[in-house]
Parts: sequence; structure tokens; C-alpha cells
Amino acid sequence: MRKSGRALRTRSEARLSGKGKLMPIRAVPRKTYSNGVIFFLAPAVIVLLAVGIFPLLFAVWNSMHEFILSRARIYALHGQPFLWFQNYLGLVNDAGFRESLFRTFVFLLINLPIQLVLGLLIALLLHKVGHEWLKNICRVSLVIPLATTLAVVGLMGRLMFNSSFGVVNYAVATVISLFHSIGPLLQGHFQVLHGFWRHVVPSNMIDWLGNPNLAFATVSIMDCWQWTPFCALVLLSSLTLVPPEIEEAAKLETDRWWQVLWRVQLPFMLPGITAILILRTADILKMFDVVYTMTQGGPGNATDLISVYVQRVGFRQVDQGVASAQAIVLLIITIILSRIYIRYFYREI
Amino acid sequence: MAAIRISKKRFGIAHFVGLLLILFFCVFPFYWMVSSSLKDPQLILSQKPTLTFQPTLENYQDAFQRNVGGSLGISLFVALTTTALSLLLGTPAAYALARFDFRGKKDIWFWFITNRMVSPIVLALPFFLLASNFHLIGNPIVLVFIYLTFNVPIVVWICSDQFRGIPKELDEAATLEGYNSFSIFWRVALPLGAPGIAVSAIFCFIFSWNELLYALILMRRETQTAPVVATSFMSGYQVPWGQIMATGTLVALPVIIFSLIVSRQMVRGLTMGAIK
Amino acid sequence: MIFLDRPGYNAIIKLLPDFEKRTGIKIKYQIVPYENTREKEELDFSSNGELTVALVDLVWIGEFAEAGWIVPFEEIKKKYPDIIDPNFDINDFIPLILNAFGTWQGKVYGPPFDNYSGLLYYNKDMLKEAGFDKPPETWDELINTYAPKLTKNSKYAFALQSRRGETQSCDSFMRFLWPWGGSLLDAKFHSNLGNPKSQEGLNFRQSLEKYMPPGIVDYDHSDAVNALAQGNVAMITEWSAFYSTLVDPKSSKIVDKLGVAPEPKGPDGRKPALGGFSLAVASQANDKQKAAAWLFIQWATGKEIGKQYVEAGGISGRQSTYKDPALLAKYPFIQPMLDSWQQGVPEYRPRFSEWSKLTDIIAEWGTKMMLNQVSVKQGSDEIGTRTEAVLKDAGYYDGKKPLAQ
Repeated sequence: MRKSGRALRTRSEARLSGKGKLMPIRAVPRKTYSNGVIFFLAPAVIVLLAVGIFPLLFAVWNSMHEFILSRARIYALHGQPFLWFQNYLGLVNDAGFRESLFRTFVFLLINLPIQLVLGLLIALLLHKVGHEWLKNICRVSLVIPLATTLAVVGLMGRLMFNSSFGVVNYAVATVISLFHSIGPLLQGHFQVLHGFWRHVVPSNMIDWLGNPNLAFATVSIMDCWQWTPFCALVLLSSLTLVPPEIEEAAKLETDRWWQVLWRVQLPFMLPGITAILILRTADILKMFDVVYTMTQGGPGNATDLISVYVQRVGFRQVDQGVASAQAIVLLIITIILSRIYIRYFYREI
Repeated sequence: MAAIRISKKRFGIAHFVGLLLILFFCVFPFYWMVSSSLKDPQLILSQKPTLTFQPTLENYQDAFQRNVGGSLGISLFVALTTTALSLLLGTPAAYALARFDFRGKKDIWFWFITNRMVSPIVLALPFFLLASNFHLIGNPIVLVFIYLTFNVPIVVWICSDQFRGIPKELDEAATLEGYNSFSIFWRVALPLGAPGIAVSAIFCFIFSWNELLYALILMRRETQTAPVVATSFMSGYQVPWGQIMATGTLVALPVIIFSLIVSRQMVRGLTMGAIK
Repeated sequence: MIFLDRPGYNAIIKLLPDFEKRTGIKIKYQIVPYENTREKEELDFSSNGELTVALVDLVWIGEFAEAGWIVPFEEIKKKYPDIIDPNFDINDFIPLILNAFGTWQGKVYGPPFDNYSGLLYYNKDMLKEAGFDKPPETWDELINTYAPKLTKNSKYAFALQSRRGETQSCDSFMRFLWPWGGSLLDAKFHSNLGNPKSQEGLNFRQSLEKYMPPGIVDYDHSDAVNALAQGNVAMITEWSAFYSTLVDPKSSKIVDKLGVAPEPKGPDGRKPALGGFSLAVASQANDKQKAAAWLFIQWATGKEIGKQYVEAGGISGRQSTYKDPALLAKYPFIQPMLDSWQQGVPEYRPRFSEWSKLTDIIAEWGTKMMLNQVSVKQGSDEIGTRTEAVLKDAGYYDGKKPLAQ
């Protein structure tokens, strides 16, 4: 015990002698890793390896063989044909896969910034001093969207955005009738606006789920509803890392909150932002339940995100081999993107 | 002086309105779900969605007839156990990654994260084979372990950031007093890292609670988790809205309660950070 | 075994205690959403799981049989001669049903269970208001005479469930091929969609769209049924199983105005939609389980409980059950359904194992056609090319696989 204590002291001395930055490792004799490291890390690593490695390796193995579930008996007798990288090469020719991937990236590029920015605003509002009781209620209510089962979120979306009995269209109709009642007061401008609106929405019933573009928007809205609170909560806990003295000092210096944000708070939030970027990217590439229960891939192809596509291949065409290859490709894409995020956004604090 | 005071006041109002908007945004769809669950099924489908109506509990009665109660218990067991285990395994790992320096640190940290990236669609079959080899199909323990693969990374992630934010001077002070690294972890890091730990506990609970694919494939009727029961209503030909909304509400409630309990920790941690 | 949350299954569950008392066999079932049923069964069968009875959808029988997952009836008879109930009388089943649902390449695998026919449901009042006292006999009548008069004031004449998925391929697409004399495949298994008769049918569907509510491409079964039930639409062609929903005051506003008739005829006759399941013994079960499984299947589709089953909400596939006039009078949908079953087409949807790939192709392009993203000709050509590619890969064109659907 004392030995490790001494090691720590040596380390901290080494650090104080530097310029406040952590000294490179060679300043510390290698043999004085704190013994504790192993004990701290080992349990998590061992468990994750035990549970996670086999399935992953199996999936990789699958991706290099032919594995159509309904041929299981044939495989039992003759073994599974080894396909090298045929499954992977096949993906290049697969227009459906390419289109679906593209669509998913468009989804990502639209929704991720929205969720980050909204989440940031929410976190700031919750961090700011004042209205404590309302803040507490808000903080708890942030959990509500996350708490809803994904499949139920999809169904809720169907219910609310239904063109005949959905509450969203009802709200739109109410707003329009409000317009009608104050219309005469606005005269000219109103006529133009009203005419334009009538042209776009002839029957007061916006077809959220039947129109391909709107369906895409509806899925986006439900996704944002569910995950913006996630971003807000993570960013909120990052905000708490900002040392209060620095924050106070900065607030005294300038009245403009966005400068305080940019100079002082954001640097502390970068790890949180990176975490959100990586997690949301991975999740959107895996996103399945909501789309499935809401639109099943959408009118035509509109909401056919990549995991909906992979599930179709893996469980409707029961071609686990190709599906595994697709999932591995997605994994590689996610890893590459994560590396990029870390490179550009992450700073150790 | 007056200018600053006025702008501060306006900001106060804007702050208030902003908070209200957040509340509305989060709660309205949920409110809609709850109110639909209390409506007579006919009413849900009518042309004009009604805001006032006669509440009825028949949807809930139907839901309970389908063994929703039991499934809530199973879900609770799985979610609590896996959250506890994840915290147990994850917080020390997070501390190690935050405080100690060693070869391959960045890689281990990244490896933790990649555990969460693989699509469950292709892992379903391997897990199924693995579980049936150990005769674990239908046993909730299997879910507890599988969920660790995506819960531990979350804990490690959020907590390592939190621990990193704790000033090292506190560590040094403690060391000078003769505490070893484990005690420092226990007495210094954990209490100060409470907001992060609370947040990650909430996320673990939520993700385990809502997980659908593995639960659908690996559990049997007697041990189904709540989300599986909630979606078993979808026979493909009928969508019993009332019952689904009722089950959805029942499924969401425990999570909200759990977060209420845990978020008090979060608040305490925040104020402790200020006092230090 | 796996059950769905539908009236037919709930009916069996209600009658289950009787079976368990008589035989001492405990039945363990799970209720799974239809969308997940096939994947759960397939996962189970391909990894030596625990299912002993297979629930086989009409379109899965080719796949399951070829994969060797289900046991033919003949084998059961040979192996366990003493558990076969002499009253089982396999010929009592309506021939079309037994052939379409339980037979593949000449072998019977299991009796039909939970079967449906497409029926025309209509709102008597709405029709009367427009001046009609009986439903349309043919599709031509429907679109030329009935539809224009019924589509006004935000009410529509017809709703066709067309959501992407099996709904699109089976309910929406196929329904407009057969009655016109068209079909998906010709005798040599090449695409028959270019045939003028198929094109006529598909074009008919396009012109029907103006009499249907907007957003129809997203309508699933429950949406179409609901449209009728709430009085927004005058007619739908849906599965017979929805009868109970339409007469339940809790879910329907038109209980006393509901009319039921067989589907309208096309130029080539009446070829209604065919859907449903059959029960078969799973090959992976051990001998004792196989015997128990057969006992259950025999009982569930047996003559004895036929009438009880219908009363509890199920649909029996036996002719003897329907000989009772009181039963026919009580459930007005039975007569049209029986009529439809006399004339249906077993290959309404090809039941071979490649159907899962084909249904996705049809679902995608069928919806695109309806959205006018592609023309009917273009869409059909696309489906044709892709379908032929799939079938070529599977070996249908060079004799590797027998032309069975």
C-alpha cells in the first residue's frame, strides 16, 4: 500500500515540476504503474471480452460464408461454402444498399446538428441560475422521451401524425382557423399568405405519413424528440465540470452570454460533444425500431434507413451472410467516423 | 446600471418561457399517450381529437390481462441488475482511464466504445446459439449479461469525463494523508463524480429497460420483458391503440420513477461541486 | 409454439384447458407480433431450438418444406399410426384450402388453421344514399358506376391497404392481377407482368386512386378497416378476419350498416385474395414431442371442436362445420367467404422459398407505382427484371429446381 502511495507522490512531483501539463510517461519509472490499474480495469475488460467477443467473431465468420437460414440442413451435411469476400464485393453492386446508406447519411446530417444545438440550448437554460423548481421539473421531464420504448415511439408517431385523426393535423387546422378569424384585420398580406397556403395544403389535412418527404420529416421529428433530451443531459453534466470561479470571472467580464459560452464553457464540453457525436452516429446507423413501427421503410423508399435494409436482408431474405457483411461494413464506417470526431473535437481537460 | 438590470429581468422572463417550452416539448407526446390510454378506443380514432373526455380504465384492465404486470417485474429485475453491475464494473474502469497513464490507454478506451457500435441484428443469431448452448434461453440472466456490452461503455464514457474534471489537488491531498488509490477512488472520486454517475445510471436503466430485439429472441412467454409484451399486440392485422398506449404508459412509468430517485443524487452532486 | 394476437388464436387459447385435461399434454405458447413470427421460427429451426409445432403462413410453406423443417403428414401416419384419429378425415377440409395452405409439391404437411379470404365490406347506408341497394358485382361497376357517386364531401368510395410490405404485395398488387387474367409469373416462371391483361389490371388500380383517400399508400390493414368503421369510406376489400372488428361497437360506428359480399369480379372472373396459415409438426422435435404435437394439431383442427371454435372467434377450414344453417345465419360473412373459397387461386402468391425476396421487390416498386414515381410500365418492367434475376439465381430456369409454386 505504501509503495503505491510513494509512486503517486513521485508522479505528482514530476507533474508539478512541469508547466502544469502532464509530463510524458518517461518521466515516471515504468515499473511504478500503480498496481491498482489492473484491478480497476480488469473486471470490466474481462466481462466485455467474455460476452462480446464470440458473437462478433461469429458475425465476421458468417460474413465470409454463405449462410441462408433455410439451408441449415444442407449446411449440417455439407458444411457452409466459404465465400472469401464475395459478400462484401456484392455490396458494391447493390444499389439498394448504396441508396439506403446515402439516405441514412442525409438523415444523420440533418438531425445530428439539430439535436446537438437544441440540446445545448436546453442544457444552458437548465444550467443558468434561477427558477429552481421549474428547472427541477424540467430536468426530470427530459427523461420522459428517452423512457419511451422505441417501438411505442413509432406507434405514437403514427397516432399523432395520422392525417385523419392525428392531433398534429388538428393543431394545424386550429391554427389555420385562427388565421381565418384574424384574417380580415390583416387584409392584403393575409390574402397572399392564405392563397399560398391553400395551394400547398388543399384540404387542411397534411399527409404526414403518405407523402415521402413528409414521412422522412416525421421520422426525423420523432427521433429528435427522443434524443435531444439525451444530448441535453450529457451536455448538462459536462457543464457542471466548468470550475465555477472561471465561469463567474467570465460573466463579470462580458455581458454577452455567447462569448462566455464560446470561450469558457465549450472547451469543457468537448468530450461530451464528442461522446454525443459518436453515440448518435452509431445509433442512427443502427436505427430500426422506430422506422419499422412507423412506416416500415416508408412510402416507396423514403424512410428506408440502412438498418431497416439490413434487417430485411438478414431476417426476411434470411441471408445472414450478406447481412453480417453489411453490418461489419457499417461497423467499420462508424469506427472511421469516430476516429475523425475524436481527432477534431476531443480535448483532454 | 439600469440597463443591466432591465436586460437581466428580460432574460429572466425569457428563461422562464424557455423552460416552459422545454417542458411542453418533452411532455406533450407523453401526455397524448397517457390520455389515449384512458380514452375509450372508439374515441381515439375519431376525426377530431378531443382534449376532454370521460376517462376509462378498460385499456389498462385489458393490458393487465396479458401479463403485463409480470413482465414489468422481469424488466425491473433485468434493468436494475444490469445497471448495478455496469456501475460496479464501469466506474473503476472509468477512474483508471481518467487518472492513470499507461500504454494503450487510448486504445482500450476506444475499444470500450466500439462495443456499442455493432448492429444487434447480426449479433442476434450468435447470441441465440450461445445462449441455447448454455440452456439459458428464457432465463433473464442472459439479458443482464448481454446488456452489459452496451451499458458498461456508457458508464465508462460519461464517468471518465466526470472524473477527469475533479482537480488533481484533491487526489494529492488525500495521498499525502496516506490513502491508497482505492480509497481515493472511494472517498474522493465517487462522491464528486455523482452527477455523471447518476446520469449514466439513468441511461443504463433506460437502455436496458427499452431493449427489444434481444429480449424478443431470447425470452419465453413466462419471462418476457415489458417492451416485448407491449409490442406483442401488433398482430399485423390490428393495432389496438388503447391497449398499446396503456402498455406504453405502464412501461414508461418505472423509468421515470427511477430517474426521479436518481436525479436527486444528480442535484446533490451539482451543489457539492459548487461548495467543494 | 408461436401464436399471433388474432381472434383465431385467442379462440384456441380459450379452448385449450379442455385439451389439456383430456390428454394431459401441456401446451406452451408465446404470442409474438406477426412481423417477427417468421424470424423467430427461422432462428429457432436453424439452430435446433425448442419449437415443436410450426405455424406456417401460406407463403412460407415452400421454404419450410424445402428446408426440411416440417414433417409431411404421410410420415406422421407411418410413424404413429395409433394416434391418428379415425375421424380426422382429411378430405373434410375444403379442397382449395387444404391444397393452398397445407400442401407443397403434392405432399400434405399439415391442416389449415386460421384462414382468410378477401371479402368486400361496405357501408349499406352510404350506398343507399348514393342510390344503390346492393354492392357492385364487378370491378368495372365499382369504378364507373359506384365510385364517382360515393366520392364527395371528404368521403371516399374505396380504400385499398397499400403499405409497403406484405400488405402492398398481397393486398394491393396481386388483387389487381388475377381478376383480369394476369399473373406474376407465366408457366415457365418468367415475368408475366408485361402481358396486356396484367397491365390492364394495374392501370385499373392507378385510376381507382382518385376515389381513395390521400395518403392511401401508407394505409395498412387497420387504417383501411378503420376508415370503413368510422364511416369515411364506403367500401373496402379486406380479410374475412376483420368481421369481428367491424361489428364490435367498441371499434366500429357502422355495426348495423355493415354489408358483406364476395370480392367484385374482374373480366376473368372472381379471384379473391387468399391468406392464412397451417399447422405442421416441426422436424426438430423428438419422437414423443412429435406425437404430442400431432395430437394438438389434430384436435385444434378437428371436427369436434369446429363449431365451438367458430363461436369463440376462429375460422374452421372444414366443410362439415359449415353445414349448420344456424351458424351461417349468425355470421353473415361465412357464406361470402365459402363462395370465395370455391373460386380462389392457390398460387395467388407464389409460395416457394424465393417469395420473401420477391415480396420485397413488389412492395417497393408497387408503392412507387402508386406514388406515380414510376409509370406502371416502368414499374412492371423493373419488377419483372429483378424477379427473373432472383429466380434465375435460384435455378428455376435451368431445371435445377422444379417449377412449383
